[in-house]
Order: sequence, then structure tokens, then C-alpha cells
Amino acid sequence: MSKHAYTFDNLHPDATVVRSLDPLVVEKPRAPVHVHTYGGETPFFMGLSKGILLATKCENPKCDPSGKEGYFHLPPRVDCPDCMEKMVWEDITDLARRTARIHTHITVEHPGAFNRVPMPCELISVEIEGVATILMSQLKGAKPEIGMEIEPVFNTRSPTFTILDLSWKPRRK
Amino acid sequence: MIKFTQRNLAAPKQMRPVYVVAAGQSDFKKRYPEKKTEELCVEAFRMLALENNLKVDGVQELKGYIHSAFYGHFADHFGDQLLGEALIHDRLGLDPMGNVGVKTGGATGGSTLWMAANAVASGYSDCVLAMGWERMDEVDTWTGNHYIATAADKDWETELGHIYTGYYALMAQRYWKTFGKSSPAFRRTMSKISVKNHGYACSNPFAQAPARITVEDVEKSPVVADPLRFFDCCLMSVGSSAVLLCDEKTAYELSDDPVRFYIAAGSHTLRTADRRHMEIPLLPHEHDNAEVRKQYAELYGDEKVERYPGFTGFLAARMAAYYAYAMTGIHDPCEDLDLVELHDAFTISDIQTYEDIGLRPYGSGPDYIESGDGYLVDPRTGKRGRLPSNLSGGLIGCMHAVGATGIMQVAELLWQLQGRWDYFHARDEMWQRYSKAKPADFEDLQVPEAKRGLAISHAGVGSHVTCSILMRPEAVIRK
Repeated sequence: MSKHAYTFDNLHPDATVVRSLDPLVVEKPRAPVHVHTYGGETPFFMGLSKGILLATKCENPKCDPSGKEGYFHLPPRVDCPDCMEKMVWEDITDLARRTARIHTHITVEHPGAFNRVPMPCELISVEIEGVATILMSQLKGAKPEIGMEIEPVFNTRSPTFTILDLSWKPRRK
Repeated sequence: MIKFTQRNLAAPKQMRPVYVVAAGQSDFKKRYPEKKTEELCVEAFRMLALENNLKVDGVQELKGYIHSAFYGHFADHFGDQLLGEALIHDRLGLDPMGNVGVKTGGATGGSTLWMAANAVASGYSDCVLAMGWERMDEVDTWTGNHYIATAADKDWETELGHIYTGYYALMAQRYWKTFGKSSPAFRRTMSKISVKNHGYACSNPFAQAPARITVEDVEKSPVVADPLRFFDCCLMSVGSSAVLLCDEKTAYELSDDPVRFYIAAGSHTLRTADRRHMEIPLLPHEHDNAEVRKQYAELYGDEKVERYPGFTGFLAARMAAYYAYAMTGIHDPCEDLDLVELHDAFTISDIQTYEDIGLRPYGSGPDYIESGDGYLVDPRTGKRGRLPSNLSGGLIGCMHAVGATGIMQVAELLWQLQGRWDYFHARDEMWQRYSKAKPADFEDLQVPEAKRGLAISHAGVGSHVTCSILMRPEAVIRK
């Protein structure tokens, strides 16, 4: 049934779009805007806009070391997941340039609604030496492979202030 | 959490036995404009009350037993309705008894059962209703995919494609390339799972996606997020399901054939990114197997081939099974169980789950399918499988009406263990009820002499998992 195929004597034709009469099915449109804060993670997203990759680590001497892989958290955590003390920010841009590699990857062909990444998109998970976690991100300009050495690229020219300001490319030798 | 204490790992206890007595469900569809959610929930309740041989005279007498109610519905934004539990409770006419809504993503059905069982086990209630539903048809599929993707971390994951399949595909790719050695055989195993579950759905009148397809059909279906294709993915559904849980005395007042019910839960980080390397919590039969322990040392030891659980395992599923086996006395699931209903959100996560719950050691999951164990009858050899999985069709063939899914699995297990699969699936009346023709190639999927079953309900990329275990009273292991 085409849009606005039905009108009602007592309703403005734009007020309700009827999709079916039996059962009666109507459209309920909405387009709300959410006002969202990055709170304590603000330094990370501001860092991307300045070309800096920031991670956090726990410096509480009483904290049981956080995993066998290393100590940095990326995504950064404001509070240590183990001891709950505030974590400390550190610039790991150089570390990432030297040691980042692809842990796993996929090609996304069909995004969900509201997607802003050009398709197809090479989605990657990034392992970095000394980092306990494996960040999800995107590779641009190359076909990804597990183990590929990569380096970060920052969208500093017109930042979106989202995780999309960070992408990766194959590391220059 | 990286290190566990004995307190963390203690076997869960029920202060008194819990029984599942009755179950009901609606049929499941991608779009269901003919009925409101409330009507579908009333349908499930009427089936529960009237078609489970209960010793009551109709719905109202049964309602006289119910003391509290637990409702699972995950995605308020899909249904566009907050406080749906109040709406459904009212339509069931169960006011003024207490009720609560439960939501843990894809595991919502399982978590609802967890809360309901604990209410009986603790002595708070003698008889509780656990019901789940989901309405996913108010938006188009791609908005639906966005809605599902908002169950990922919105700042760190959702922005990257707004597609949950992608976050699973990262795991699939890693599994395929490390454990699967990039072999086409591994891709084929994934396809066989889809063929199997769509095929079992053909004998389920409630199922949304019955289909006789081939491995080639799966592998030619459109790529959603490489390597996951259309037929590797679960359904989006509308529908409801319900079970009734009771203490022992009430269970036998209501039924001559109640089944013991146990459930335990595990969890892990929302983001796969945050999964730090750790030691594997071993299941009972792995403890006793030097070969498996050696294999694990090679996979995850100093010369680390893979992180644990990394992108290849689900710690939440491992822990749910760990607790559930400790609670029930299950030693080796392939020996001790007769059938399972697993959370096959994607073919890859089904394989991962075989390993998490100990059907096969980590790294060997595909063998559960390739050996024929996972079938009622292995299509290649014609032999009985040891531990058939997802005879309902699962999430790939039957439905994934999120809040209802974990409850539907337990409903199917109950009917199997009571020997009543036939009543709910084979009668012409049941097919006519849902305006369907019983297919000419209908198969009898009743598991002969089924005494024990297991169901896995799973959220996110492994954030919450519950493990339900049903045992006929004469087959209880830990007296």
C-alpha cells in the first residue's frame, strides 16, 4: 500500500500513514536526537582529533597485575576493572606505530541503519605489545590479513569525535 | 576478573528441588501483524495451562497456584514499549502477585528462568510463571540490525558498521584461520549446521524458517559480514513462550510427570576487546583427561597459539556449564545428556559453544558435527547421533524472539523428556492451528528414552550465558 494512499475526513493526511486496514497497521514515525557524553573517556576522543592514541593503565602498587598480555587498556578504562582505583592516561601512539598487528578481521558488506562508514568496510581487531586488550577498529587502503603490521591513521582535519576518527593502514617499512 | 577464588567458583545450590511442570508458546514469524504481543503471550499461557496434562480444571484454577511471575523481553526499542511486563501481567490477569522484568540481551530467556528458578529454590514461591517474548517487526531489517548493534558498546563498537553480525564475524575469522587452518572443510561444517537446523525446523509447526537447503545453498547465500553469510545467521522473530516452575510438592499436585530443573549463569565482558588472556577453567571430564590438558597447554601455553578465551571461546558459556555441571553432577556432557538446545545465533558461535560446554575440547568443535554426534540421525551414515542438538530448529531454523528464545528451548526439552514431542509437533491439528500444511517429508524427532537435556541461552558476543539442565526425576545424578 503506497504512502498516503488513505485519507480520513477528520485527519490531516500527513498525520497517520496507514499500512493496512485489516489488521489495522499504522506508522509511528520518530526522529529523536540523543545528547551523549564521553565523560571520563573524553581524553581519548579528543586525543584522536589531535593525532594521539591514548590508553590507560593502573598504577596502584597493590593491584594484582591485569592479565598476562600487558598492562595498558585500550579501549581505555577510567577506573581499574580489578582494584577500582583511577587509571592513568598514557600516550601510546609510538608504541602502536611500532608494534600494532591485526588479530582478526572481516569485511562488512551490509551495515545496519545509521551507519557512517563507507562500505564495504574492513573491520579489524588490533593487538599492540604491552596492551592487555584487543581494540576493534577499521583498516583503510589495503586487504587485511591476520598478523599484518599496521600503524594508526587519525582524522585530524575534520574530526567526527567518534571512534571513526581512528583507522589503520599497513605499516611503512 | 582474571583470578578466581574457591568462593567465586563454588557449586551453586538450590535450597530445595525445582521442577518444570508445563510449557507453552506461540508460533514464530518474522512479521506478525495479525496479533498484538499481548495476544501472543496469552496464547502461550493458554497452551501452558490447557495442553500439559495438568491436574487442574482450566486456566483459572491454574492461576490459583501462581505466586510470582518473571518476564523476559529484551529490546524495549524494538517493541516501542517500556514496562511491557506490567502490560502482559495485566493481560494474564495475574495482578496483584509480584512480577519483574528481566533483560540480558540474547540470554534474556535464560536469565528469566534463572530468576524464576531461584524464587522457587529459595522458598519464596511454590509456583512461578516464567514467560518471554519479543516483537521485532515494527522496524525494517536494517533498522533492526542497528537496534541489535546498540547492544554492543555504542562508543567503541556500534559506530563500526552498526551490524552485530560483524562483531561475530571477527571471531569466526579468527577461529577459522587459527583452529580451522583456513580450511574449506571448516566452512563446510558451518554450512552443515545451517542445513541441519533449517531441516529440523521443517518438522516444527512453531518454526519460522523451515527449509530443505544444501551446503551449496548456504555457501552461495549473500555475505552479511565475511565469512558469515545469510544462512549462517539466526532469525529476527515475533513470538512468546512460557514455562511453569514449582517446588516438589506443588509439581506433583499439578502433574504426574514433572521434570527436575537446574540452571546456572556465567558472564564475560561486553566488548570482545576487553577479554584478557587467562587460564581455562576445566570441566570435570577435562580434569581427568591428560590428553586434553596437553592439547590445551599447546594451544594456550607459553608458545601461545591462541589467547584464552580470546576470540575463539566464550568464557561466559564455559562458566555457565562449569557451574551447572558442578550443581547437577554431570561429568561428561556427551555421556550424561540425551539432547541439547544450543544458542545458534550464528553457525560459528554454535561451534564455539560445543567447546565451551565440553562437547568437544577447545579447537575440536567441528568434530561434534562431523562425527554425526550432533544429529538425531546422521544423514551420511543413517546412524543415531549420540547427542542431537537443536531439534527445534534452534535460532537459525525456529526463531530468535529474543526474550522468548531461552524459554522456548526449555519448553522443547520438557516435551522431549515427557515423551510428548509428538503431541506438540506431529498432530495435524497443531499445523492447522498455525495455518500450515504438515510437510510430506515430516520427520519424527522424538529422542527415544530421553532423560536429560541441556539448553544454552547466550547474550551479546558472550556477555551473559545461562545453562539449563532438565532431568527426569528417576535420572537425577546428584541425589
